[in-house]
Parts: sequence; C-alpha cells; structure tokens
Amino acid sequence: MVNTNTSALGIIFPNSYDSLVPELVSERLMASIPFAGRYRMVDFLLSSMVNSGIDNISIIVRKNYHSLMDHLGSGREWDLTRKNGGLSIFPPYSEKNVKVYSGRVEAVASILDFLETQKEKYVILSDTHTAVNFDFRKMLDEHISSGADVSVAYKKEEIPEGFKKIEVGRSDLYYTLSIDNGRVNRIFINAPEPGPQNFSMNIYIMDRKFLMEQVKGAYARGYVYFERDILAPRLEKLHVHAYEFTGYTARISDMKSYFDENMKLLDDENLDGLFSPSPVYTKIRDDNPTRYINGATAKNVMVADGCVIEGDIENCVLFRGVKVGKGAKVKNCVLMQDTVIEDGAEVEYLITDKNVTITAGKSMKGADTHPVYVAKYQVV
Amino acid sequence: MAKEMIAMLLAGGQGSRLYALTHKLAKPAVPFGGKYRIIDFPLSNCVNSGIDTVGILTQYQPLVLNEYIGNGQPWDLDRLYGGVHVLPPYQQASGSDWYKGTANAIYQNISFIERYNPQYVIILSGDQICKQDYSDFLRFHKEKGAEFSVAVMEVPWDEASRFGLMVADENDKITEFQEKPKNPKSNLASMGIYIFNWDILKKYLIEDEADPNSENDFGNNIIPNLLRDGRNMYAYHFSGYWKDVGTISSLWEANMEVLDPEHSGINLFDDEWKIYSRNSGMPGHKISPEAVVENSMITDGCRISGTVKHSILFAGVRVEPGAEVEDAVVMGGSVIKSGAVVKHCIVAENVVIGENAVVGAMPADGEKAVATIGPGVYVGSNAKIGPNAMVNNNVKDGDVQW
Repeated sequence: MVNTNTSALGIIFPNSYDSLVPELVSERLMASIPFAGRYRMVDFLLSSMVNSGIDNISIIVRKNYHSLMDHLGSGREWDLTRKNGGLSIFPPYSEKNVKVYSGRVEAVASILDFLETQKEKYVILSDTHTAVNFDFRKMLDEHISSGADVSVAYKKEEIPEGFKKIEVGRSDLYYTLSIDNGRVNRIFINAPEPGPQNFSMNIYIMDRKFLMEQVKGAYARGYVYFERDILAPRLEKLHVHAYEFTGYTARISDMKSYFDENMKLLDDENLDGLFSPSPVYTKIRDDNPTRYINGATAKNVMVADGCVIEGDIENCVLFRGVKVGKGAKVKNCVLMQDTVIEDGAEVEYLITDKNVTITAGKSMKGADTHPVYVAKYQVV
Repeated sequence: MAKEMIAMLLAGGQGSRLYALTHKLAKPAVPFGGKYRIIDFPLSNCVNSGIDTVGILTQYQPLVLNEYIGNGQPWDLDRLYGGVHVLPPYQQASGSDWYKGTANAIYQNISFIERYNPQYVIILSGDQICKQDYSDFLRFHKEKGAEFSVAVMEVPWDEASRFGLMVADENDKITEFQEKPKNPKSNLASMGIYIFNWDILKKYLIEDEADPNSENDFGNNIIPNLLRDGRNMYAYHFSGYWKDVGTISSLWEANMEVLDPEHSGINLFDDEWKIYSRNSGMPGHKISPEAVVENSMITDGCRISGTVKHSILFAGVRVEPGAEVEDAVVMGGSVIKSGAVVKHCIVAENVVIGENAVVGAMPADGEKAVATIGPGVYVGSNAKIGPNAMVNNNVKDGDVQW
C-alpha cells in the first residue's frame, strides 16, 4: 500500500461524560453537542483522524444517538464513504437482558466480531468531550518507536472543575497519570489534586489484537472499565507509554466550561490553535453568507454563515442561521443554530440551544459565572 | 428508462469582457455573492426544478470548473442514472473539433442526450444570475403544445435594441425574431433559455450541421430556421430577477444587489429555493472589537479588524486594522492589509492589497467605473489603483496605475 493511509482504525465513544452536561445531552449525546459556531464535538475528532490518514472509524453509541446519526449521515462530509472501512455506527444490540454498555470493555466486547475481520494493525480509542486538532500519525509513530503495549495521550493541566464534581459511583471516571521517563507507573482515578496534573485525554493507541485479547479476558471476568480494570492494576507488566499533547484543547466538563470554551475562540490565537494545522469538516447546511443590515453593530464576535443581524451583538458566538432583530442587544452569549432574538430583546450571558426564540422586548440576563441556558425549541 | 427533460448547460464562454477575472477561469466559474459561483444558479435551479441530468458544455479554461463540479454532490447531482456530466469536445472516428457555436456544442453531444432518451431538452446559459423554476417553464411548453419555447423578459423599450427580441401574438406564439434590431417591434428579450422537443432539436441540429454557411448558433441559425418552417414556437414570460453578468460593471452591480434583496429581488436567503455551492469548510467569521461592519455580507472564515461598509466578502477574506472596504466585492482568501483603502471595485481571489495602498474610488457624478484586481495579484504598499484600472500583474510598492 502506498504510504498515504495509516494502518490504524478508530473507535469513538460518543457518550462518554454525558453525565457532566445533562441539559445539553437531554436529546443528544456528547459527540453531537454543537460547538464553535458550526461544528459538533465529534467533528474535531473525526477530522483529526481523517487528516491523519485513518479512514476506518467505528462509533459505538449507547443512547440518545439520533442527533448523531442525523449529523453523520453516510460520513461523506468527512470523506468517510469508503468501500473499505469508512464510517460504522454500532447501536446497542437489542437482545434478551438488554443492557447498554457502561465502560469501554463492554463497548469493545460488543464489536469483537467486527474487529476480528479488520485489516489495520493498530486501533485508536477516543472520547469526544475534547475538541482538538490532533495528529494521530505523530502519536502512532511515537507509540511504535517506544515499543509500548499501550500509549495514552495526556496534557499537563489543572483538572477542570466539572470533573472534580464527579461523585463516587457515577459511571464517568477521569484519570491522572504518574509518569516516569515516558512510562506510566500509576493511574489515579477521580483524584482531584490541585495544580497542573498529567491529565489523561482518554486517547489510546494499541495493537488491535492486543486490545481484543485484553477485552475478551476482562469481559469474561465481568470487568467494565478499560483503564480501571485492565491498565491500572497491571502497570508493572504492561508497558503503557505516555504521549504528551501540547496543542490547544477545548474540553467540555460542565455548562460553565461549555460557555467559556466557546468564548475563548474569540481570541484568534485559540481559534488558530483549534483549526490548524488541519481543517475541520462538518455537515454542510448550504446557508447563505451572513448579512449585517439596518444599523447592526458587531464587536468581538464569531458568527457562522446564514445569520441575519439587525441589532447589536458583542462578545458572542453565533451558530448558523441565527437572527437578531432590530434594536436587539445581545452581549456575552452563545446562540446555537437558528436561534431568533426578536426586535428589541436584550440578552446577556445566555446559552440558547437550537431553535430558541426570545420574543420581542424580552430581557434575560445570566451572570458570567452562571450563564442561563434555554433548552431546544423554547419560546421565551 | 427515459428522462422527461434533461438540461444542457452552455459553459464554454470565454467572458472576454471580464478579462481580469476570466483569463484563467471559465466565466461560469466566476465567484458571486459571497460563497457561490455563477454556475451554482443554473445547477441549483435544475435540481430545485426536479431536473436530475445536466450536461455541462465546456471548452475554455475548464480546470477550475471541472474541479468545482466534481461529481456534482454539492447540488445533489451525483446520481446513478443521470447526474451532472462535464462535456468537453472530444475526438471521434470522424475527427475532432472545438465547439464551433452553441448549436454545434449540442450537436457534438447528441449521443450523450440519446443515452437518456428525453422528451424535452432545456438549453441553459452558464453566465446568468437568476432563480427560475424550469418545471413551470416546462408546464407552459406542454400546455401550449409547443415544439420550441424561449424564456423572455420584458425590458424597457429604449433598451430593447440591445437584445435578441421575440415578437409574439396574444397567445404568446412567436411570429418573428429580431436580433438587436434598430427598430424593435417587441420588448420581449430572449434570456437564452430554451425548451425543445428533443426530436425537433435533433432534426434541426443535424440540418444546421449540414449547412456549411451556418454559424452553428441558436440565435442566428436554429431559431430563424424554426421560424422559417412555421414550427410551434412560444415565448414564456419570466418576471423574476435576471442578470447577465457579462461585464465587470454588471457583475459588480449584481453583487451589490444581493445586499438589498428587498428592492433588487435577488434573494439568496430563500429556504424554498436554496442556491447550493461547494463549501469552503472554514469556521465562522470573526469581527474584532475595533472593527466596524455596516450593511454587508460576510462569509465563513473572514476576519475583520478594519472597516467594512456595503460590501460582499467571500470566504476567508482578511481586513486588517485601519483598512477600509466600501462598495467592494472581495473574493475568497484575499487580504486587505492595514491602512489600505478599497472602494467601489472587484478584488478577485487570493489577492493581497498592501499596506496603505488605495484601490478604486467612490465614483464622481455620472461615472460608473469599477476597478478590478485579477486573481493572485499582489498590490504593493502605498500603490494607487485608479477607478478604471483592470490589474492583472503584481503592482510594485508605491506604483500608480489608472
């Protein structure tokens, strides 16, 4: 094979950390949360994989996946309509004693037959709660040269507040790593230490056969979590290599961070960090360009196509097809696709989900620490 | 399975009057309206009208156009049977030839059309900005029992002599055709959009090809021959927005009209009749705290730090702090450096306007000149480009061109 494709297949877990943002996932999952004006969280990961030469990607969904199916379609926008590989979406099996998976072990166990028949030597596992422009080729090269059984990507950063609130017994776990000379020697689970930590990005690379063996064994013993039950107890035997990622990350860990991560993109440096070096693909909507009319003013905003702005907008992220009426004032807001702010309405520190309407003359205000969230299709 | 109607889109025009924009680009591929190319309009009209088979006849500078059309997916024209096909001239056992005229271009592709065995063929032009429902045109054609129909626009009588005119009776039956006459008998201008019964079209194409004196042109040869033979020919009245963007000033004007859909009638914001295009895939545009944006259209990927008034910015345009853009059409990927002033002009794709350079000027009374900067041109710092200039080569720092 000519050296354009990477011998790795991707497995994506789109429901990880759903529990951190219950409002946003009431009718969707983490992977389909709208982000950065015209994207969904999964776009960043899919695009990074495709741009790294990975064209065989599986998504193992757990629940609320209609919006994701609708978004992904055949995978064409990510160039994933392939005869060999391409995009596969695995919904939960409907069987006797039906039980949707809770950890990676169960999820991967449900597609073992599929994995058996694939050709790629390596697999890459990832969640979707982090928007990132990630070079998987680079990580794979380092994985191969390290000779490790497993590589895990991490970033040196403080543990986001949202994660610290995870209660014991909740299904979503987070991991910090103790690293010695590039090798992970301890994995801490839900350990809210202060200051910068080696915070796992939950991106793993390993041999496909290795993953299958581990999962078969673990599944038979009733294990659930890949990190907690397979890696953490056996770090002396297993060589787990730590791959440091130093690029830009936007992580959703609660509603506040969702707001903040959108707003951070108003800084060009952050925007360039997320959208370079490789492009990010998403579903096309064929919107017209955005129109500013009738004395509209705009200061410090990011606005996607298809908007019509007639009022004043400041410090905002506007998704596709947002309408801001005459005399309306919109400040410090994240307005998702097709939100309508009618004439004269005044809003501040607001997150509106899809198709929200704020009627004429209404006034709504959140605080920078607690932006107000308005759910899908609500009319205020 | 036969198709009821397929479309043949004439896209071979050189667009010589748009020279700075078209010396490396077929006219239908010229960008328009922030994120479109001219050809998006007829293609979107086709798919919105239910036509799923389109042949695009190209011969002049087809590279960009070919890549842009690709498999036709952005227009939903990637079909198992039908879809969009780019048809350049090709070699045949009997020899090969460039398309000699509009009729000859169709003649050379008779075998393409026969593959779909259509009842009707609609001939479209690739250089018009127009939203038109071709299915309504076909309904008219069938109701009249026509063998040939042409879409016409009423134009002001004092301008009528600039057009090919159809003289029609009260039943819209065409009785006479006048090509740019001194004394017009009609103000119904041909839009260059025709529906033919395929058997009639084929017969006249073959006959026309056999005539050594023919220019092989629809307007000059085919239509007069149909009239001569007393065929059933009808004029279909179209009253929506229509613009032939064959000149720099009409192209500029049409772009400006997009900014004012309430009056001009060209509404790109119509969910019922979307215009599709190949997408830039860039993130949303950004307007910085010091920027001023008034009455403009801004596309994904733009970054605005200067002043933009009454202008159309295509994907990925950058306007640096202190730069001024007014009444301008700035195409994809161009950069207006700080302090530059860009007014009443067209700036093509991937142009750099250097610091403090001046391009174009707001027109004095009665003047309509639109300065034009060709694609990929670098205009140096402090250079000055006059309102009548058409610039195709890099301009050195401080140079002046009129």
